[in-house]
Amino acid sequence: MTTVDPLLSETAARVFADHATFAAVEQAEADGWAPAMWAAVAETGLPWVSVSAAAGGSGGTLADAIEIVRLAGFHAVPLPLAETGLLAGWLLEGAGLELPAGAVTVVPGAPADSLVLRDGVLHGRVTRVPWARAVDGIVALLDGRDGPTVVVVDPASTQIGSAVNLAGEPRDTVTFDGVTPRAAARAAAGVDARALRRRGSLARTAAMAGALEHLAALTIEYTTTRRQFGRVLADFQAVQAHLVHGAQHAELVNTALAAATVAAARGPAEMEIAAAKLLADRAAGEASSHAHQAHGAMGMTREYPLHHLTRRLWSWRSEYGDEQSCSRVVGELARNAGADHLYELVADGSRALEPLAAGEARDHT
Amino acid sequence: MQFVFTELDEHERALQADVRAFLAETLPRGSFEPGLGMAGRKDPAFSQALAARGWVGMSLPTEYGGGDRAAVERFVVAEELLRWGAPLGHHWVADRQSGPLLAKVGTTEQKERFLPGICRGELSFCIGMSEPDSGSDLASVVTRATPTDGGWIVRGTKVWTTGAHEHDWMIALVRTSEAENRHAGLSQVLIDLQAPGVEVHPIPFLDGTRDFNEVVLRDVFVPDADLVGTEGNGWAQIGQELAFERGGPDRWLSTYLVLEQYVRELGGQTPDLAFVELLGAATAQFWGLRNLSLSIARAIDDGRQPSVEAALVKEMGTRFEQDLLEEVRRFAELEPDPQSDSLFERLLANAILTSPAFTIRGGTIEILRTVAAKGLRA
Repeated sequence: MTTVDPLLSETAARVFADHATFAAVEQAEADGWAPAMWAAVAETGLPWVSVSAAAGGSGGTLADAIEIVRLAGFHAVPLPLAETGLLAGWLLEGAGLELPAGAVTVVPGAPADSLVLRDGVLHGRVTRVPWARAVDGIVALLDGRDGPTVVVVDPASTQIGSAVNLAGEPRDTVTFDGVTPRAAARAAAGVDARALRRRGSLARTAAMAGALEHLAALTIEYTTTRRQFGRVLADFQAVQAHLVHGAQHAELVNTALAAATVAAARGPAEMEIAAAKLLADRAAGEASSHAHQAHGAMGMTREYPLHHLTRRLWSWRSEYGDEQSCSRVVGELARNAGADHLYELVADGSRALEPLAAGEARDHT
Repeated sequence: MQFVFTELDEHERALQADVRAFLAETLPRGSFEPGLGMAGRKDPAFSQALAARGWVGMSLPTEYGGGDRAAVERFVVAEELLRWGAPLGHHWVADRQSGPLLAKVGTTEQKERFLPGICRGELSFCIGMSEPDSGSDLASVVTRATPTDGGWIVRGTKVWTTGAHEHDWMIALVRTSEAENRHAGLSQVLIDLQAPGVEVHPIPFLDGTRDFNEVVLRDVFVPDADLVGTEGNGWAQIGQELAFERGGPDRWLSTYLVLEQYVRELGGQTPDLAFVELLGAATAQFWGLRNLSLSIARAIDDGRQPSVEAALVKEMGTRFEQDLLEEVRRFAELEPDPQSDSLFERLLANAILTSPAFTIRGGTIEILRTVAAKGLRA
C-alpha cells in the first residue's frame, strides 16, 4: 500500500503553504524563478526524497516523493521539484552519477528534439525543458553507443531560449553547440526513453491530482459563501452539479494516482500510469470548466487564486503524454489482451499482462 | 469524504480466480445470452448453483446460512457476474439489498424464515418504494398500513417493481401513521406477493419486455411478524439501504459487454487507431471507476459509512455507462437490430433501448447530485 510518513506530508504541506503564497507564486511567474522559495524548500530536503542517502538524496520511497509532488501541485508550487529528485535523481543514481547541488532539471524529450552525443560531445537542441534558465544542472537521457546514456550538463555551457507554459512556468529551449557534459554514464538497466516518460507522467499526474483536489475545495468554499437571489450559490441545483463533477474528478484522479504509484513500485506499470495520466488530462479540462463556471467572473480575475491551478492543469495535461498518446498506450494493451482478457486488464492492471507476456523480458524501472 | 485506495489481497484474488473458473466452466461464453449487468436474466438454477458455492448471501450471518464474508468479497463475486453478463436476476435484489436489510434490522424469526432461503438462492425479492405519485420524492408515499388485529391492512399501489410477477416477496415502504414531519410515520413491511389482495399488472417496457410491474395492494393483510425493523423508522432504514446499493459495480458495468463483444467480433482485424484510442480511454475509465468502487466496499468493511462516496460513484458510473455506449455505437456505424445474428448488435440494440434507465433507477442522477452536494458541503 501507499503508506507515506505523515510527518513528511505535514512538513511538505506546511512549507509549501508558508512559502508558495499567492504573492510568491505571482512573483515567481514574473521573475521566472523563485530563489527564496527554492532555498526554503531545499532546506527541508524535500526535493531529494526517493533518492537514497548514499547517492546524496534524502532517502524515502517513490510513494513519499509522489505525495510531495502532489502537495506541491495542490499549492501550485513553481519549482522543479519533480525534476530534481524523482526524475534527475533517479536517472543519476541509476547511472552511478553524483547529484549536483541545487535544483536540477531533466530534458523531457519532445519529438522534434535533436540532441546527440558524438565522441563525448553534445550537439543539438531540446525544447520544453522546465526551468533550464534557473537550475544548476541539466540532465538528459540519450542514445549512447552502449545503449541509453545519462548526461549532466552545466547550464552555463549551453544557450538557453526562454519559453513558458500556460501557467508561466519556464519551459525553455536549450541549444548544445558542442558541449562536453560534466559527466556521462550508462543508464540503469531498464531505464530508457519510455521509462523516463512513464516516470514523468506519474510525476505530472501527482501534481495534477493535488491541483484538482484544491480546485474542488476552492469551488466548494466559493459557492457556499457567495450569495445571489438571497441564497448561497451551492443551494442551486445547477451549481451543485459543478461541485459534484469537480469532486468526482478530484477523487477519480487521486485514487488513480495511488493505484499507479503502488503498481510502479512493483514494475513498469505502463497500463496504470497511462490510465491515471489520461484520467488526469481529461479531468484538467472538465474540472477546470466546472470550477470556472461555478466561480463566474471572479474566477477569471488575476487576483483570485483559481488560475494558479487551472492554468497549471491546462499545461500539465500536455506534458509527459496527453489524452491521445495515453489512450493509445492503454488501447494497445487492451487490444493485445483481446476480448477474452480485456476485463482482467481493467481489474488486475499490469498483473493481467504478466501471463500474456510470460517469457518476454521485463523492464522494471 | 475520502476514498482510500485499496486493492485485493491474496485471499480475495484467489476468490476472484475461483469465480472466473466457475463461470468459464458452468457458463462458457457462447452458451447463453448474456445480459447487460444487473439486467441479467432470471435463472433460479444458476442462482442455486452459485449459492452452492457460497456466493449468494455472502455478507449474511453464517448462523442463517450466509457466509459472513466481507463487502469486498461480495464485490469480487458481483463484479465477475456482472461483467460476464451472467443470469443473476433471480437472486440479485435479495443478495444485494433485501437480505442485508433483514439481517440488519429484522427480527430473529424473520432471519430464520428468510435468510436461509436467500442464501440457497431460492427466495427472490422486489423493491417496493416508488408509487404513481412518489418517484424521487419518496417521503410522499401514500400506501397506507392500518393497524388491525394481529397485523396491518395495507392499501395502495407500488410501481416500477421489477420482477414482481415472478418473485416471492416485496419489501414495501408504507405510511403507518400521519406525522407533521413527513419523514416520520414511514415503515417497511414484507409483502408476500402470493397473498390475497396482491395484484401484479405488467408495465411493458419500451422495448416490449415485461419485467416491470405495477403492484396493487387491495387490503392486503400483513401480520405483525412481517414489519421490518422499527415502526416509524422506515425513512432511516431505506436511507441506509440505498447507501449500500449505490456504490457497487452494477452502477458502471451495464454496457461493458457491448465494448467487449465489439472487440471480440472485430476478431483479428486491425482496428482503426481511433478505435484503439476509444478502447484505451474506456479501459482507463473502467479502471478508475473500479478503484473508487472497490474503495467503497473496503470502507464498509472498515466500519465507515461511505454514503456520499457511493452517490458520487453512482452518478459518475451511470453517466459513463451511457457515454461509452454512444461512443461504441458511433464507431460501429450500423443499424442496430435487436434480432441480429451478431451478439454485439443485439447487445448494442438492447443497450440503446434500455440505457436511459441507468441514470434513473435507484435514484436519479439529479437526486444523487443533491445528496452528494450536501455531503460535500458538510
